[in-house]
Amino acid sequence: MTHATQTLDQMRPPFPAEVGSGVYSNKLGMWVFLASDVMFFTALIGSYIILRFGMPSAWARPGAVLNVPLTGVNTFLLICSSVSMVKAYAAIADGKKYFLRKVPGKTLQDGGLKFWLLVTIICGAGFVGVQLVEYIKLVGEGFTPAGYREGSLLAEHALADPVKYGAGVAGMYGSTFFTMTGFHGFHVTCGVISMLYLYFTKVLPEKYSAQDYRGIEVIGLYWHFVDLVWIILFTIVYLI
Amino acid sequence: MTTVAHTRTEAHSEHAPMSFWRKYIFSTDHKIIGIQFLFVSLFFLLVGGLLAMQIRWQLGFPGKPMPGGGILPESMVSGGVILPEYYIQLVTMHGTFMVFFAIMPLLVGVYANFLIPLKVGAHDMAFPRINMWSFWLALLAGLIMLAGFFVPDGAPRAGWTMYAPLSARPDLSGATISQKLWSISIVVLGLSSVMGSVNYITTIINHRAPGMYWFRMPLSVWALFITAILAVLALPVLQGAAIMLLFDQSIGTHFFDPVAGGQALLWQHLFWFFGHPEVYILILPAMGMVSDIIANGSRKPIFGYHSMVFAIIGIAFLGWLVWGHHMFMSGMNPTLGSTFMVSTLLIAVPSAVKVFNWMGTMWRGNLRFHVPMLNAIGFVSMFTIGGLSGIFMAATPVDIPLHDTQFIVAHIHYVLFGGSLFALFAAITYWYPKMFGRMMNEGIGKAHFFLTFIFYNMTFFPMHIIGMGGQMRRIYDPTIYDFLKPQQPLNVFISYSAFALFAVQILFAFNFLWSLKFGKKAPQNPWDDNGLEWSLPNPAPHGNWDRTPNVYRGPYEFSAPEAGDKDYLPQYVKLPTDRDPVPAPAPAGH
Amino acid sequence: MTTPQPTTHVRPNYLLIWLYLFVMTIAEVLLAFELPVTQNLKLILLLILAVWKAMLVALFFMHLKFERWRLRLIFIVPLPLAAILVTTVIMEKVF
Repeated sequence: MTHATQTLDQMRPPFPAEVGSGVYSNKLGMWVFLASDVMFFTALIGSYIILRFGMPSAWARPGAVLNVPLTGVNTFLLICSSVSMVKAYAAIADGKKYFLRKVPGKTLQDGGLKFWLLVTIICGAGFVGVQLVEYIKLVGEGFTPAGYREGSLLAEHALADPVKYGAGVAGMYGSTFFTMTGFHGFHVTCGVISMLYLYFTKVLPEKYSAQDYRGIEVIGLYWHFVDLVWIILFTIVYLI
Repeated sequence: MTTVAHTRTEAHSEHAPMSFWRKYIFSTDHKIIGIQFLFVSLFFLLVGGLLAMQIRWQLGFPGKPMPGGGILPESMVSGGVILPEYYIQLVTMHGTFMVFFAIMPLLVGVYANFLIPLKVGAHDMAFPRINMWSFWLALLAGLIMLAGFFVPDGAPRAGWTMYAPLSARPDLSGATISQKLWSISIVVLGLSSVMGSVNYITTIINHRAPGMYWFRMPLSVWALFITAILAVLALPVLQGAAIMLLFDQSIGTHFFDPVAGGQALLWQHLFWFFGHPEVYILILPAMGMVSDIIANGSRKPIFGYHSMVFAIIGIAFLGWLVWGHHMFMSGMNPTLGSTFMVSTLLIAVPSAVKVFNWMGTMWRGNLRFHVPMLNAIGFVSMFTIGGLSGIFMAATPVDIPLHDTQFIVAHIHYVLFGGSLFALFAAITYWYPKMFGRMMNEGIGKAHFFLTFIFYNMTFFPMHIIGMGGQMRRIYDPTIYDFLKPQQPLNVFISYSAFALFAVQILFAFNFLWSLKFGKKAPQNPWDDNGLEWSLPNPAPHGNWDRTPNVYRGPYEFSAPEAGDKDYLPQYVKLPTDRDPVPAPAPAGH
Repeated sequence: MTTPQPTTHVRPNYLLIWLYLFVMTIAEVLLAFELPVTQNLKLILLLILAVWKAMLVALFFMHLKFERWRLRLIFIVPLPLAAILVTTVIMEKVF
């Protein structure tokens, strides 16, 4: 399933210019923005690492409070959405603007841009949905950004077993968890909304073609970045 | 020239005539956006100045009723006397407005927007609509910040550096709503800054006209480019920190609360990790523009153009490694303290290279002392003093008695006012013809410069002395300490000088506003300069050029023999010996 | 001034990458809970796995393997800054 492709890296602005970066402006702009987003998550994740180093006892053991299996499935869902995103990109690079098309000699139909982008949107929205449900459940059990709510189930557990559930009110655990995953979820939501917007305004009316699919490539970069951050977050928040 | 790449010829004249709103208010034209930033930032500069006047009243005449104090509410001013709670708000908001909403937008929001496309030969920024959003978000952030004065409990009061836990605990600081507004405003401003910087970086990399090689770009563009890289990487860290602060104040998180396991020092690290690149954001564009102006005023190429570029890059790179020098007194690890001391001392080197190069440029030049040149020379001398006081503070043992005294305040103001603001006076005067089609009045400009220079030094130089004498920062009434009482006459002197300094700015404000309508109509190239922007009429039209200009040489070809009888040779002028630059070829298969 | 050449390259097998990511995720979860290794070793292995997965996404999905160095540089630059911040503050805290 491999063949040579040309990328859009040569697209010039519609007036004479120096070579510059060699990639078209929208892509360059998105990469620069992603660099800034790395710094933003550095502040949040870096603070988490620093705070945890400073007071490791305030954190619960992995799996004690958070639902790791469910989040593992959710992680897989996000990774799937990343794959479907790159399939969407590959599809439009080949000019496949359609939804599904029968391919002679193959059982599965061939997916075009409309199909794969829709899969991405659905998986992305699914990720956010599962996160929201998780949040509601956690808060219900007593896990809040301020730590364990007084009198809640988790607070009792923490009193009984501070090693497993985190010492005291586990304020730092809650603070860092909700802030990091919350802002990641915000980024995912923004991505889903952007993809929906593009889907209805550009993808369905078939405005993208093999000659110009910049919007898909750029939103794809953003989406993969969001996935990348989650890969890091999942490990250091849920598994350590 | 074999391949002729298509030019965007009449794309702009084909627009339907735009309504007033689309043309001047919700404009995507980088020049209009730059001018919008200019007016808004000058307004915030005025706000910051008014706050400073009140601070100086209190410091010079503690306990005396302030003239005009009656118009302020009782919670701030009691019987005309500034209350301590209000004083600390003044100090905090003066810093906040000046740094975030005056100097940064004036240097970056105005001049990056206005100059970059003009000086690299582009028709507009890479992302004009994002550019428009960048302005409106900055304005929104400024208004949110201003609202802090008008909400219950008044403005934030933990200093412009907002150290936790004072800033995180409304029960300690007394500022409830406005502290949250501060955080929100900073996040919005950060967004505006990042959006702008993405634009500047992309435009400079990808939209340079044919022949505009990297080492043919004017230093103002180099400086703005490096500044944008700093901004894009530093502002998000502040946004993260501000969000954590907001959560500490509102939803009960404990990032900076040591009682619950947080770390108060974490705020300082995050803030200054942003804060130090931020101060280079506040000075590099000024340095860049001053380079252009000094070369112009000396009628000579900039001395050591390449080393100037590497110095800018060196300052920006080292700037990430010095943030701990703001925290020498925080009780940090002494080994780390030494590391920061070394890196801070190192960073003086590229700055010094630049100062020597400016002097080298002026040496034996055919000096023209026009208003921008005067202000630029003022910049060099004042920035040097500010830099020298910086060396004092870089040495940790020296910083121990000096930290949080007026000595630091003197340093800040020498680099920010003596540095950035003088550079802004120069830049505003220099590019005024390009923006508005008229010249600012030369006589008033010179009077403004000389009076400002004199009163400015009278205001801020003595601060070094009283700082060394032990007067702290942000102190409400120095006379409560016996050891500070002998210095009080200096405080009075400073206050009188400050009032005079503020009053003198009326000259600049008048000059600026009056010349909009009644200034002399500007010739196309009033300063006999070489930049691409001077190939356009004044003011520059929408879309800049009909046909993208070609660039044949570097930006500082003053007094070049090839120019014949003129002492300047613009980048866009084609001599018989020049060949047209070859633009990048159209992509294959398109 | 280099003229850009059309970058022709073999399209990576996205499904294979997906399989790698899936297997590595399972490995991570198992490692975190089941395997009897010391805490420090677990930490290091988990971090290696996480970074490896992230690099797979960056290099293949985000196409960085096939891009010019200039573009990779944009993504790489923030990383040492992040490392400097975190390391310095931890060193400071440990003191």
